[in-house]
Order: sequence, then C-alpha cells, then structure tokens
Amino acid sequence: MSEHATPRINSARLTDYIGRSVRLTCKALAVNGDTAKVQASDGGEIIARLLPDVDITSQYIEIIGTVQDPSTIKMQACIDLGDNLDMKLVNDVVEFSHDPRFSNMFLH
Amino acid sequence: MSHQLTAGIFKRLFETDELDDTLLESRPTVQFLSYKKVATGGTTNNVDRYRIIVSDGEQFLQAMLSTQLNYLIEENHIAKHTIAIVDKFACNMVQGKRLLIVLGLTVLEKTADKVGEPTALQAPPSARSGAESASPAPEASASAISAPTPAPAPAPAPAPAPAHAPTPQQSVQRQGSRGSRGSAIYPIESLSPYMNNWTIKALVTQKSGIRKWSNDRGEGKLFSVVFVDDTGEIKATAFNQAADDLHARLQEGKVYLVSKGRVGLAKKKFNNVVNEYELTLERTTEVEECRDVVNVPTVKYNFVDIAGLQNVEKDAICDIIAVIKETGPMGEITTKSSNRTITKRELTLVDRSGYSVRLTLWGAQAEQWNAGDEHPVVAFKGVKVGDFQGRSLSMSMSSSMQLNPDIPDAHLLRGWYDGGGAEQSYQSHANNSGSGGSGLAFKREEVLPVQEVKEQGFGEPDKGEIFSSRATIMHVRPENLTYPACPTCHKKVIEAHDGWRCEKCNMSHEKPQYRYIITAAVADWSGQAWFQGFNEMGQVIFGMSGDELMEIKERSDTEMQNVLSRVIGSTYNFVCRAKQDNYNDNVRTRYGVSRIEPPNYAEEGNYIANLLRSEWAQ
Repeated sequence: MSEHATPRINSARLTDYIGRSVRLTCKALAVNGDTAKVQASDGGEIIARLLPDVDITSQYIEIIGTVQDPSTIKMQACIDLGDNLDMKLVNDVVEFSHDPRFSNMFLH
Repeated sequence: MSHQLTAGIFKRLFETDELDDTLLESRPTVQFLSYKKVATGGTTNNVDRYRIIVSDGEQFLQAMLSTQLNYLIEENHIAKHTIAIVDKFACNMVQGKRLLIVLGLTVLEKTADKVGEPTALQAPPSARSGAESASPAPEASASAISAPTPAPAPAPAPAPAPAHAPTPQQSVQRQGSRGSRGSAIYPIESLSPYMNNWTIKALVTQKSGIRKWSNDRGEGKLFSVVFVDDTGEIKATAFNQAADDLHARLQEGKVYLVSKGRVGLAKKKFNNVVNEYELTLERTTEVEECRDVVNVPTVKYNFVDIAGLQNVEKDAICDIIAVIKETGPMGEITTKSSNRTITKRELTLVDRSGYSVRLTLWGAQAEQWNAGDEHPVVAFKGVKVGDFQGRSLSMSMSSSMQLNPDIPDAHLLRGWYDGGGAEQSYQSHANNSGSGGSGLAFKREEVLPVQEVKEQGFGEPDKGEIFSSRATIMHVRPENLTYPACPTCHKKVIEAHDGWRCEKCNMSHEKPQYRYIITAAVADWSGQAWFQGFNEMGQVIFGMSGDELMEIKERSDTEMQNVLSRVIGSTYNFVCRAKQDNYNDNVRTRYGVSRIEPPNYAEEGNYIANLLRSEWAQ
C-alpha cells in the first residue's frame, strides 16, 4: 500500500523520493514546450516534464508524478488549483505531514 | 537596725567586661526602691513580672525579679525600701546595657529608710526623674527576657528623643537624609525580593486616591502609585498609617528617591502594571523628593496603531497615540450589576494607519475632558481593548493619558493631521470581514462543535448566549423560505385590495420585497442542530435575493430543486445566539444566526498551522 501512496512534497524533499510517485503543489513560472519550470511551496525551482497534450492554464497546479532526480519530476497527472493559493500554508501542510508527531495520520 | 548596703557593687558590675564568679556570688546587700508590675510580651504568657529598682546605696538600676520570686511581692514580703541580700543573680547584656535579674534573695528588713542618695546608673544626662527616663531600656529588656529571641527591635525611632514622641514624618525624613544619600540608584527592572538594600529614582506617573475598605477581617485604607524609570515601571501601595503619611508627600509628575520598601510578587488581580513584582510602602520606607532635573525618567509607551488593534486580543491592555477627531457628548449609563450611574464620553481616535476607533472615558475623566474644538494628540497608556463593533477602547482604573505629549510620535501625528490627515476618510474595524451588522466577531479560538453547543444547555430563558461555530448546511426547509416584507421597515405586509399594506409605516406597496426566513439543519463532525436565520443568511447561502428566489420558484420547480440542493454541503462560520423559548410547556433552545460568512481557508489554515506550532501541540 505504501508504494501507492503519493506524499505531498516540496523541493527540499525531492531527494528522499527519487523513483517514487509524489504530489507537488507548485506555481507555474514558465512553460517551454514539453517542460515547465515550477516553484515549489518552499521556493525551490523544479523542472516538470509535461504530458503531451496537457495545457497549463492556471497559476497554481498540483503535479502528480515520479521523481527522476533532485530537480526533475515527470508528470503523470495534473490538477488545476486556480490563481489564488497561500503557498506558505501549503508548505506548512507539507512539513506537518512529515512531522514525526503526525506521521500516523498520513500515508507515506 | 539598719544594714549596710554593698555600696559600689553595681558600679563594679557594670564596669567590668567580664563577669567573674566572685561578683556573681558576692551576695550583695541591696535596697529595693520601688517595684512595678510589667506586662510581659507574648500573648500566651500570662505571668506577671516585676521590675524593681535596686540600689546599692550609691547607684540604682533596673532589675527584674525572677518569676519564682513573684510571691515575695504578692504576699507582701517585699515593700518599698526593703533591704535584702541578693543570694543569686544573673546579669545579661541587653542593648549594650547590663541588666540584673534577681534569682534568689533573702529579706533582711522589710521596711527601712532609704539609704543614701543613689543616682541612676547610665541614665541620660537630661533626665534625673527616676525610672521614666531609663524606660526605653527596660521596655526593651522586658521584652527581651520574655521573648526567647533577644530582639532589640521594639525600640526604634523613639530612642534618640524620648521626651517627645517623634512623628513618623520626622523619622522618615531624618532617616532619609542620613540613609539614601550616597547609595547607588538601582534600576526598577532589577528590583526583586532577594535584595533589600536598594534605592530607586522614579517618576510618579499615576497616583490613586485614598480608598477605604471594610471586610470581615477588618477595615483599612490604601492608595497606590506607579513609579517609572528608564528601565521599567512598578506599582507601589501604602496601607493605613503609611498611606496617610505618603499620600500628601507623593505627587504625580514628581521624581522621588525611594528605598526600604518591601518587594513582593505582584497581585495580578489588582495590578496590571508590567512587572512581576510590586512594592509595599511601609512606615520604614524612605521617600525623598529628588530635585535634580537631569535624568528624569519619562513615561514609557509601547504604541500600537489603530489598524493593528485587530491583532490585539479582546481584554488585552495596550498603549495608543492618536488624534482626537471627534469628541462625543457626556452621557450616563446605569450599570446592571450595581445600579450605579456612571458618566461616560466617547472619543473618536484616528491615526496614520487610516483607521479610526472609539475610546470611552469614564467618571471624572469624562466630566473633565475639555478639548474644545481642538484635535489634540493624546497618548494613552494601559487602555483596555474590547470588541464592540470590531474593536473599541476603554479607559480602566490604571490607564493614563497625556495631552499633546512632547514625544516624537506626537509631533509626527500633529504634522500629519494638520497637513491633510484631517480630511482623510477612515476605516473602522466594524466594516471588516463580511456581514457585520451588530459587530459580533467570529471567534475562531472559541469555536464550539455542534454537539457541545447543544450540551451547553444555554442557561436562563430570556438571556441569549453568543457562540461561534463552523458547520455545514445539511438541509434547508423549503416551506416558508421567504415572507413578503415592507421595503422600508422589513415588517411583514398583508395583501390587501390596493396592494401590500404595511401597518407600521401605514403605507401600501405595489410589490413586497421578499425576505428570507431560513430554518436549516447544520452539522459538523460532532452532531447536528437547527439554526435559524434571516435575510442576511439567505443572501449568503443562496447567493441571490429573496425576490430572485421567489421568481425561480414560480418559474420552475426543477430549477428550485437545483438551487436548494446546491446549498447542501456548503460550510460556513457562524456567530449565533442561543436562547431558550417556552413553547406550549416545552422549553426549546433556539439558535439564531447573527452572522454568517464563508470561511477564509487560508486564514483558518494558518490558524491551525500556528496552533500546531504552539506549545499546545508539543
């Protein structure tokens, strides 16, 4: 069951999940063909390899994908989150979900 | 037959540094000149003691009779001028004086003539009037004997001038000039119960009047002041006698050197000055007015701007500096609790944050406020924050204010206001966040789960309790969703032949305004309850006016169903009033919605995140 769990992460935690499926809530900075540069909730920048016919229309998205290396994620699915998102709060959620006090509430 | 007294024995006794046995066993013959019963110290001690004036023919001194020998006096074996041999005696040092204690004696002659002209031993030169002049010593020694600890304490100030009782004023002043000069000035911040040799130089920023109290333990009076220096502030209280003395001497706005007060823990119930300790001014406290103008401490402020008041909690204390934009008229209010009438006056404060807030003055301050048409800059210290209409301020017992103070913040405000700030329009906290109305704040910290709301059983009928809750709409009763209302006064109108008639306004309208009356079942993780709301609530939930909803209802049933079902599952923050109703012998608690707003998820999320970071979550 844990292999199917997709924890929500930020740029700092990418290295812990190389090869695994994760969720990345991020802000789209630039789109270049089939890759996009996105900013994670802790401010770090990541390259996202996009799916062929997916268009990024809103500022904030959640990318579900596999971590290829500490700075790249390969998209499997994408969720539109609109143009208004409190990234600091998102980062709080990411950090709390990894906090040992609360780890039994999350599937990691 | 007259006996020879052992002349000079007393002189020898008191001049030797060491008592040797020869003296102690010398069994001198002495004459008793007089005796007096003394009350012993110690409330439990019921034994009488006798003080005797003993003479050796040349000098006389005080002695105490050992209690075993009391019977000699009580059974009249000893009288005035009795001559006796002191078989056994002790000699104690008390306050630098030798005191004789007679432990055993043999009466030689009960009545005799006075032998010689004995003079007092070590009496002060001014007084040769016998026992009285030497009285301070035996008083002290009396208590010294009877009390197990040799405490010379009872003879403080009286010693230097026994003839006239010194007033506490005098003694304080005299000690003041001797003591405090030359001792270092300590910062108020450093005061603690662990050091007792301190002197502070401080300004009196507040002084209360003398207050009397009377409770089952007795009566008393007190007054308090607040001392301020560059490092901090501390409250000081004087009781009873000390209060009388110091009340006249301490003036607001003057600087004093204070020492020998008692430092204790601050009683937060009576004291909201920022310091964990407070001072008690006693009769031994020294207070000296300080004339030097250099280094005069000033009142310390920690200002919040009006916009920032939103972040200050209700009932907290803060300092604020602002321009008085408006002065309200003086009014009177009767307190529900004690039926007293109190005068009050509201001021409207504005500052550069673009916000305005109302501040209430009470009692004498309300009556004496006289700024005319001016718009003074006023600095307030220690005002209480309330949440009436968003945010409000109120002067409390320990608040103080300064008109047009000579501080940089005040000058800045003056410049800003005169230079155009006056024309600005201001926001008030009452306008903030959503459907304000009666200015009830949604208290995030006090959100009650629905089940607890019901369990609270909200008390008396006729008295509403206000609570905050977050719940999701589960169902809205479709019957009677709206009522036809008068567009002006919102009262229900009746359809008549000439339109819709409003009784209150005495008018008929062509078309009524449909206003909501909502009965909704709301629920959260804990339970479900029925909440009732009016037009405001309908507006928020349905997102359209009552009129529009009625149109849809007329138009299409299915669309109406859609509208109704869309509402289900939406979550809101509620501020409600719970009130018990008597309903055909049934008591039912009704929950009326005073305020409803959609939650701001970012705010709520941040609140929770902060909670998780706080101590509570560790």
